[in-house]
This record gives sequence, C-alpha cells and structure tokens, in this order.
Amino acid sequence: MTTLHDDMDLKTAASQAAPARRPAATDLLQRRPELASLFLLVAICIAVAVVNPAFLQASSLVDMGRASVVTGLFALGVFAILAAGGIDVSFTAIAALTMYSLTLMVLTVAPWMPMSLILVLSIVSGAILGAINGLLVYGLGVPSLIVTIGTQYLFRGILLAFIGTVWLMELPPQMVAFGKASLFDFETANGAIITLPVYFLVFPAAAILTWLLFQRTLMGRAIFATGGNAEVAARLGYDQRLVHVFVFAYAGALAGLAGIVHVSANRMANPFDLVGSEIPVIAAVVLGGARITGGTGSVFGTVVGVLLITVVNNVLVLVGIPSTWQRVVVGSFILLAAAFFVTRQRQFHSESIK
Amino acid sequence: MSKLPGSDEPFLQLRGIHKRFGGVHALRGVDLTIRTGEAYHLLGENGCGKSTAIKIISGAYEPSDGEIVLDGRSRRALTPLMAMEAGIETVYQDLSLLPNLTVEENVALGEQLVGGKGRLLRGLDRRRLVETARRALTEVGLDPTPALMRTKVADLPLAIRQRVAIARAIACEARLVIMDEPTTSLTRHEVETLIEVVGRLRAQNVAVLFVTHKLEECYRIGGQAIVFRDGQSVAQAPIDSFSRSRLAELMTGRPIEAQRYRRAAPQPEILFRARGLSAGRHFEDVDITLRRGEILGITGLSDSGRNELSLALAGHLPLTAGELTIAGEKVRIARPADAIALGIGYVPEDRLSEGLFLEKSIYANETPLILDRIAGFLGLLDDRKGRAEARRISAEMQLNTDDIDLPVGALSGGNQQRVLIGRWLSIEPKLLILHGPTVGVDVGSKDTIYRAIQAMSERGIGLIIVSDDLPELLQNCDRIAVMNGGRIVDELRAEGADEDRLYQTMVASERDAAE
Repeated sequence: MTTLHDDMDLKTAASQAAPARRPAATDLLQRRPELASLFLLVAICIAVAVVNPAFLQASSLVDMGRASVVTGLFALGVFAILAAGGIDVSFTAIAALTMYSLTLMVLTVAPWMPMSLILVLSIVSGAILGAINGLLVYGLGVPSLIVTIGTQYLFRGILLAFIGTVWLMELPPQMVAFGKASLFDFETANGAIITLPVYFLVFPAAAILTWLLFQRTLMGRAIFATGGNAEVAARLGYDQRLVHVFVFAYAGALAGLAGIVHVSANRMANPFDLVGSEIPVIAAVVLGGARITGGTGSVFGTVVGVLLITVVNNVLVLVGIPSTWQRVVVGSFILLAAAFFVTRQRQFHSESIK
Repeated sequence: MSKLPGSDEPFLQLRGIHKRFGGVHALRGVDLTIRTGEAYHLLGENGCGKSTAIKIISGAYEPSDGEIVLDGRSRRALTPLMAMEAGIETVYQDLSLLPNLTVEENVALGEQLVGGKGRLLRGLDRRRLVETARRALTEVGLDPTPALMRTKVADLPLAIRQRVAIARAIACEARLVIMDEPTTSLTRHEVETLIEVVGRLRAQNVAVLFVTHKLEECYRIGGQAIVFRDGQSVAQAPIDSFSRSRLAELMTGRPIEAQRYRRAAPQPEILFRARGLSAGRHFEDVDITLRRGEILGITGLSDSGRNELSLALAGHLPLTAGELTIAGEKVRIARPADAIALGIGYVPEDRLSEGLFLEKSIYANETPLILDRIAGFLGLLDDRKGRAEARRISAEMQLNTDDIDLPVGALSGGNQQRVLIGRWLSIEPKLLILHGPTVGVDVGSKDTIYRAIQAMSERGIGLIIVSDDLPELLQNCDRIAVMNGGRIVDELRAEGADEDRLYQTMVASERDAAE
C-alpha cells in the first residue's frame, strides 16, 4: 500500500512513537514517569550524605533496608490492584488479622509448627481474605474503595472482637529466630554489630515474582487490560471474575506475609498495629508512577516509590529536620508528582488534537 | 472444523432469532446467512436491532429464542470465547482497544488468550506475540516497525488506531470480521484505505459484515445488503439490486427522497463576520461572513483545521489573532461563556462525551442554558415552568418520546442529537455551530435533523455546519468552504456544486500543503 495518504499516516504514527522530535529526556520521562522519583531519590541521598555523612553508614542503610520490607510488600500488592484499575485500603487489616491470629495459634495450639509452614499459612490466609475482597468487588459491582473500606472494618473488627486485644510480648521461638537470622553482619566504628536480617530478602524476592507475573504471564497483561478499560477487556475475553479475585488475592497474600515479617521483626504482636498506615503505602505506589485511575505503573517504579518514602521517613532526622516535617515533605512530593503527571497528560492531549 | 473452499454450506446462519430485554422485544425473528469471502452490509435505523444482532453473533448476548448455525453445527447461543475460536471477530465502533497497552499487545494478545481457551495463568510467549502482531499489521497495510509496535495505543492517531483494531481482529485466523460503523469518524481518504483492507480480507476468504449508515460506501464496497426494521430482517440480497431510495424505504418503512433540503434564502443583513482568524498552528488567516438565516458548510480533512476553527468560534480554543463582529459590533470570545452570552451555540461532534449528561433526564439536558428563565422566587428553580419549557423543546424537536424524565442515555443517536440542538434553541441563538450533526445517526433521524436545521435558518439563525459528509453539506447549505492546511482554500455555492470537485479540492490542496 503506497498511496501518499498512507505514507503520511505512517509518518504521523512513527513520529508520535519515536523520540526524534522531542528532547530525549522529556520523552523518556513521558514514558517512564518513575524516573522522576528515582532522580528525586538520588538527589535526596546525595544531599543528605553531604550534610551528614552518617547517612551512608551501614547502620542507617540497614535500618532503611529493614524498614522498607513491610511497606514494600504492601506496595507491590497495591500496585497490582492499581494496575487492574482498583484500589485497596484493607491490606493492613488483612496483615493485622493474619499476623495476630497466626501468632496466637502457634503460641497456644501449634508450637511445633516450623517457620516455613507459618510463612506459607500467612500467605494462604492473606490470599483467602484478599479473594473475599475480589469476589465482593466483582460480585457487587461496587467500586473497590468502598468494598475495601468495608472489609477493613470487618477484618479488624473480627480481630479485635473475636481473636484478641492483648499484646503478645513473648513470640514463639521460631518466629524470634526468623526475625533475628542474619544475612550480613557489619561492625561499626564504635564496635557495635549491625545485622542485615534474612527477612530483608523477602522484598526483592516478592518484587521479582511480581515483575515476572506482569511481564511473563498472560494474567499480567490481563490485569493491565482490565485497568485500561474493564468493559473492553471483558469483551475481548479476559475473565473479569478471575482477574478480580486473582489480583486481590495476590495483594492479600503479600499483606499476610508482610504481617508475619512485621511481627517477627518487632518481636511482638500488637493487634492494634498496622491499620492506619495505608496512605504512605498508596503514596509510595503513586510516586512510583502508577496512576490512581489504573492501568499504569511498574514494579521498578513501585520499588523506587517505596525507597523514596522510606528514605524520607528515615533521613530527615539525620539532617536535623523534625520528624513531624516528614508529612509536609511527602505531601509536597505527591502534589508535585500529581502536577507533573497532569501536565504530561495535557501535553499529550494538545498534541493529539491536530 | 474447516470446510472445503467452495463448499456451499454457509459459515454462519441466524434462524428465527428473538431477543427480549425485560419488556422490550429487541429482535423479533431475525434470519441472516453469512458465507466466507463475502461482504455484508447490515442496514437499518437506530434501534432496529442491528447492535443486538451483532452482540448475539459475537457471543455477548444470549438469544431468547431461535437457532444459530455455526460451521454446520446448531447452537442455542455463543459465548465470546466460542465465537472467537470459530474466527468471529468484532471491531466495535469504539474500537475496543486498550489504551494503556502497546500496539503489539493489543493486536496479538487475543491469539494467545484464545489459544489457551481463556486461561490466564499461563506464560506469555513474547516472541510469538511479536510475530503475530507483525504479520497482522502488515496485512492491514501498516509498517510494523519496532517503534510502532511498542507505541501505546493512547498515543496513536485515530485512523491508525482503527487499522490496529482490524489487525487485532484478523490476528487469530478470522473468518468473519464484523465492523460496527467503521467509517463514522474517518475522513474520506482513510475510508479509501479501509476499503482496500476489506478487499484484501475478502481475497483471503474472510467474510466482512459492516454495520453502517453510509450507503455510498456500501455501494462502493459491494456485496450483500441485509436490511433490518423494527427488530426484523426484512431483506437480504446483493446491494446492487437495490436503489438508494429503495434501501431507505426498506429501512424506514416509508419513502425518503434524497432532495435538497435548502429552500429558503439568507436575509441580506450580515450577522457575523470574522477577519484574519488564527489559532497557533491549527489555522490561520480565516475569513468568514455569514448573513442572518444563512447556512455555511465547512469541510476539509480531519487535520485541515476545521475542527479547531469550530472550537475557537465557540470559545473552546483561544484565538491568537483576528477580529470578530456580530451584527456590526466588535466582540471577543475567550471562553465558552463569552460565546453563549453572545448567542453563539456549539453542538459538538462527540455528543456523548462532550455534549450530553447521559444519566440525566431529557428535561435536565434541555434546560441548563435557561436556568435563569425558569428560576422563580428567590432564584429557586420553578419545576413546573422548567418542565413546560422542556416539553415545548421536545415537541419542537420531534423527539420520539413524551417522557421528559427519561435518561438521555436511553435515547437513539438521532434523538440525542435533537435534545442537544433543542438545548441551544432554548436560548434563541444568533449563530449555531453544528459539528458533524448527523454522525452516527440513521436515515430517518437525519431527515428530521435536516428539517430542524432548515427551520432554524428560516427563523433568522445563522448556521455553520462543520462536516465531512459532503452530501449533507450539498443538501443543506448556501455556501461551502473547503479548509486545508489551516486555511480556507475554496468557497463555492452549494446549489449545483459538484461533489467530486469538492473532494478533489480537499485532497489536492492537502497534497500542496504537504509538499
């Protein structure tokens, strides 16, 4: 087909696809918005390291590594749900219910249970609770925000009403051991030993698994398809019920796992814990380039978002900014990111008009 | 399951299909026969059951009664997956592309989905994805460069998107491709390309079923016409055996002649004058003169600047230069509210997303511009007055319902368009800009809309119709201006103007501008 019009169409398509016409950096940012957050992350790290070199010591890096695990697991789950066009605010309640019930069960009836089985159980029970979310969202046809606000209350209510309100200060020994197990030991200048725990590996492992899910399976594409346009995805034969149940169960599984990691790391199980910490997690995912309207984002971006939030939460103290200012900083970042994404979209629209 | 080529058995037959939605009997005994390698045109007014029939063929709806014979096997209903496995693919009017996925994914994911019987928990074969996409894109005449393949669909121009949608349809060995109003939003040269693609599909023994309102294109493509009326199939025969008026009569059940609607002449007084209008790179140095009661048509390819010009006149796009006068007085239009205050109305092309509140009632959609008039004591809205106004507007626009509380989303395209025009009539506009007034509207409703347009002009309203439907402009306008490359390149009297010459001007001038 070699008519003039065709050639022109192709040129238009190619020029919109190829970076040639725009500066490379702008184009890259348009396609990979998370790079802006990455840049911010690197800039903050450099700035803080210059002001206070203590930041680069093993102790603070390990602290941050530890702190990122639970947020990271939550964030990967939230990313999967955002990619499918939904939102979840119940994951902390799933984590709290799973971790407390499981810890209580191991303490009272199954002290023999090996740590590996505890971890598997946390994943399975988290997945079941998440699947309930998915079935409700699909079955009721109600926005997932409403459904998960409901289940957050429900799961937390069940925990506090039926399972317990007492802090468990004495954990089962296998969980204590899991929390302490060392991957690396560092000796600081003043002779103290800093430990990077084994459970730190859970976050990168989960990130790689999530990446494989999205890049290498049909389900990953189906999740994005649903987030892009659920009605169209259904029309094209993507089983919407399966996608909904899967994506919420996946987030639930990660939340359940995060719960047990949280307990093991803190060496106690507090039933009032975790719930209320949803917003920073969602903020991390959004800073990682996922749009709240669904269908976008990446695992890499989510990891960057988690690191950014973790760094901001941990380093401001090092440079003498009061911790109460963390919120101001995170809030400004989110607004900046939002403004950035909006201008990005407007630019696109004004170009596509012609 | 594959039949010998030349075997006489049809690929698909619908026999006595009925479909009821609650109390609505949408299909009342539909028969149709489809053979591979042939083109079909499903014709009929809006609401005649065309879309319902398509959804039954593609497996989205289950028929209430009747028989579907697919590849010689009789079935009561199809599922989307069954239809896809049999090679039935639908290019919906909205194209059903996923904006956030890449071209290659949009084209070729379906093949892997169908290959795995819809199971999702499977690995994704990237290499096959790329191969399939490359083959399908080539077949629709797109060059599958890596840059194009990895572009997100949201970043593509509309005409390319449509070909991507067709590429998706044929990516998994399609045997029947259904196209729902494929040319509605295409310019004429894009339509030519589409017709070429269809020819290629037929040569590969694929059947193509068009759902369309554009009879001209049906004759150009050829094949069989299937005519629906009131949920029944009333005819199926080679399209050349029907005259245009016979087809229109079959569709509406009443004779409709393709006459020139324009009878009245403009009044001498100049209503609106624009001098040297420019808006960035969209258009420049445009002059327009419009008399009271005059109808001016503006046409051009979709990138000619005609869309932006109409937006600018309505205050939706800022002007960078130029002078506007209304009834001799200099005016400025910077925002939509300025245009409305000056009595300039704008009926957008995409009435669904830009014009109507779909979930709101006819009443609410007809009265938003006259809230001050229906406001009573303390500025509270006087419901009785408002309802009376809405009833008056509905009657004037000849809506097919008396129920002004009906949500607009439940109306047919033609009736929705009339609601929108009626809204502007409520403020007695001086100038009304109609952008694609009959896009996606059936023959019968077109007639009503054209009559309404003529009636408005006789009341002294100046009208600008922006459209690429040349017969529409020729039938309704006093003058037609052809735009290209952001300029008006030709202007001629509509009466007796030659459609081919208009088209040549549009295309020829584009070629000049491209050089």
